Amino acid sequence: MNTAMLNDQVPVTVLTGFLGSGKTTLLNRILTENHGKRIAVIENEFGEIGVDNDLVIGAEEEIFEMNNGCICCTVRGDLIRILGNLMKRRDKFDYIMVETTGLADPGPVAQTFFMDTEMQEKLQLDSVTTLVDAKHIWQHIDDSDEAREQIAFADVILLNKIDLVTEEALEQLEARIRNMNSAAKIYRTKDAVVEMDKILNVGGFDLDRALEVDPQFMEPEYPFEWAGVYNLSAGTHELVLQEGPDPAMKVALVPVNASTDEALEAAVEPVVMVFSDDAYELSAGGTLQPSGRLIALNLTADELRFDVQIDRSGAYALFTEHHPDEFQAQLSGSGALVKPVVEREFKPDHEHDDEVTSVGITTPGDLDPDRLNDWISNLLRTKGVDIFRMKGILSIKGQPDRFVFQGVHMLFDGRPDRPWGEEPRYNSLIFIGRNLNRTELTEGFEACLA
Amino acid sequence: MSRLNNFSNRLFQPSQLRENWASTISDHVIDLAWSPDGRYIAAASVLGPVTVFEGHRRSIIHAFKGHEFGTMAIAWRPDSKVLASAGQDGKIRLWDITSGEATHALDGGAEWVEHLSWSSGEKPILASAAGRKLKLWNAGGDLVREYSDHQSTVSGIQWRPRVRQLASIAYGGVTLWDPKQAEALRRLEWRGSSLVIVWSPDGKHIATGDQDSTVHFWIMSTGDDLQMSGYLTKVREISWDATSRYLATGGGQEITVWDCSGRGPEGTRPVTLSGHQDFLSVVRFQHRGKLLASGGADGLVYVWQLRGRRSSLAVHEAALTAGVTSLVWSPNDQYIAVGDESGGVSVFSIS
Repeated sequence: MNTAMLNDQVPVTVLTGFLGSGKTTLLNRILTENHGKRIAVIENEFGEIGVDNDLVIGAEEEIFEMNNGCICCTVRGDLIRILGNLMKRRDKFDYIMVETTGLADPGPVAQTFFMDTEMQEKLQLDSVTTLVDAKHIWQHIDDSDEAREQIAFADVILLNKIDLVTEEALEQLEARIRNMNSAAKIYRTKDAVVEMDKILNVGGFDLDRALEVDPQFMEPEYPFEWAGVYNLSAGTHELVLQEGPDPAMKVALVPVNASTDEALEAAVEPVVMVFSDDAYELSAGGTLQPSGRLIALNLTADELRFDVQIDRSGAYALFTEHHPDEFQAQLSGSGALVKPVVEREFKPDHEHDDEVTSVGITTPGDLDPDRLNDWISNLLRTKGVDIFRMKGILSIKGQPDRFVFQGVHMLFDGRPDRPWGEEPRYNSLIFIGRNLNRTELTEGFEACLA
Repeated sequence: MSRLNNFSNRLFQPSQLRENWASTISDHVIDLAWSPDGRYIAAASVLGPVTVFEGHRRSIIHAFKGHEFGTMAIAWRPDSKVLASAGQDGKIRLWDITSGEATHALDGGAEWVEHLSWSSGEKPILASAAGRKLKLWNAGGDLVREYSDHQSTVSGIQWRPRVRQLASIAYGGVTLWDPKQAEALRRLEWRGSSLVIVWSPDGKHIATGDQDSTVHFWIMSTGDDLQMSGYLTKVREISWDATSRYLATGGGQEITVWDCSGRGPEGTRPVTLSGHQDFLSVVRFQHRGKLLASGGADGLVYVWQLRGRRSSLAVHEAALTAGVTSLVWSPNDQYIAVGDESGGVSVFSIS
């Protein structure tokens, strides 16, 4: 395919978001804004929108399985039909917006632009843009696969209705979203007001921008969510919990040098190791002692009290798998409540069941094309269902040009980009998906270095 | 043209097709239909207008306005007196060729009416498909039957040769209908999306071209199906030869011709025909003869002679300036009419 043909491709924005998140408001804004583009809108329900020059087409979501029910091979039959017809006209549209229903899975929509040769040739998926209702998303983010997938698939996320929530809540939401999808551009909006160049022609697959990822979100995940350092005197203390969301919780109690942040920090890495061991189960009424052992507190009894036996007064750090607030956990000694002197959370709140994450890998060096090919093929074959999105810039041994690629589930599209020239050669890629194993991905990728 | 250069080293040069006439309509030719009596060629533009030409001359008989938002399909009534068209205004329109008037605007049942098929024989029936809705109309435009909705958008319909039965395809397989019954006659299930359906001329087999780059082949007597895979793209180009033995398929740049005699094509090695430089858009056998015509996005038109796996070859060729979108043989098999992406309509003679 030559460059002229690539330039002929009409950009497409896929607009997702739950009902009430502001999709229609945004669409209206895009259509009425004076951007000089002829826009065709494909939407699932006919709205009252549409101005001269633009075209609004109603579509009924039809999901086609292409390959015996594999979810990575589902496409939207309605879009193939409608877009195919639209692209035949000489008076082509400059831009196409596809609005999905609030409950739509963005996977098949995005895959439609990869799996069908005709679509791939004539259209360019510019971005998946997801509107998030900053106030009401909390109702969905934990228990709706669709809400999580809409966030995970997004290249651009608009946190809308920011006037309805506090700054603190926004920070918390943004951190949560970043953790799930660290490659997306996030904008805070009120009434879906956003500059058009943040929405149209954003080049969601322009990897230079996609990979400008804030490094703090690349930090490793921890097997615990909370740690607190207590000053405990010798004797028996009591850990009391209430019934919470899980039937068991892993904890580790270790001595630390002092009740300071530094001492807590120093304990983190060793305790990560402790958490990788098999846990020793402790039933209510049992005794917890400071040790290098991982303890699984059984939380199924009526009364959840555990004795904490301290032989020597000093500073002790308690690491808990879940946030102690979820179980209203309290430590007390001699009848008085003992509060932690120092504490630290390891993930944002509400994050306990968050299986959607991003894994970014950046490394210098050249890749062996054969090893890379084997690794990617195997990865997509075995993990394609869980990998929602994947983007990267690669330095292939012997190739003067940068190699750029992107994928949706197990569909993969890559091509040589501009020459490296004077720029130092490096590799940078990101995976967004469910249950991703950071260590495995990183090691697997690094094994492909020549 | 430079793209023909790679044929110069062949021993056998296909001869240039002789152009009888050429004209242009408003935009991309979305459908082309030669009237059964051979007198007219109707060409529908994706923008809407439908132009009726004389078959053997460039002159325009009628310029029908067609459908607002775009026409999607056209089909001649077997007596060649009425042309039916379907479009994005949700209508099926009947055009009287003698008077040049639009006589009927029928409701297809959804926003887009995409497919039309006339049955043959006495008192022909017009079948229309719009979205999930399948309707039957008599020659005078009266509604004969409206079937209960398909589970998914109907992607193709065709009347069975020799027997008055209609086959429809949608995601999930093929359904067979008897116009006298409200209920489906038979279902051939397949979990996939078919794009085009073609009956073998003897009515014994159905072939479908599919979205997942396969071709399905159904044997009506047993209900068995075979699947041919390995295509590069989705398959929208399929055609049976007059003897119901050969099935020509596109789905990429090469034409693949399967021999469906005996136990069927499964496990056999097909004939492949190369020459097109871009994806095929149409393959079509003659009505009675053995020649196969093909057109592609490269603007090339070939006429092929099938002579076994090694010696099949292109006997005629032509190069258009835009990608081929449709191609039909004249009823006497002496001419082909070709439509292209920029609205060109050309008629070539074969002999």
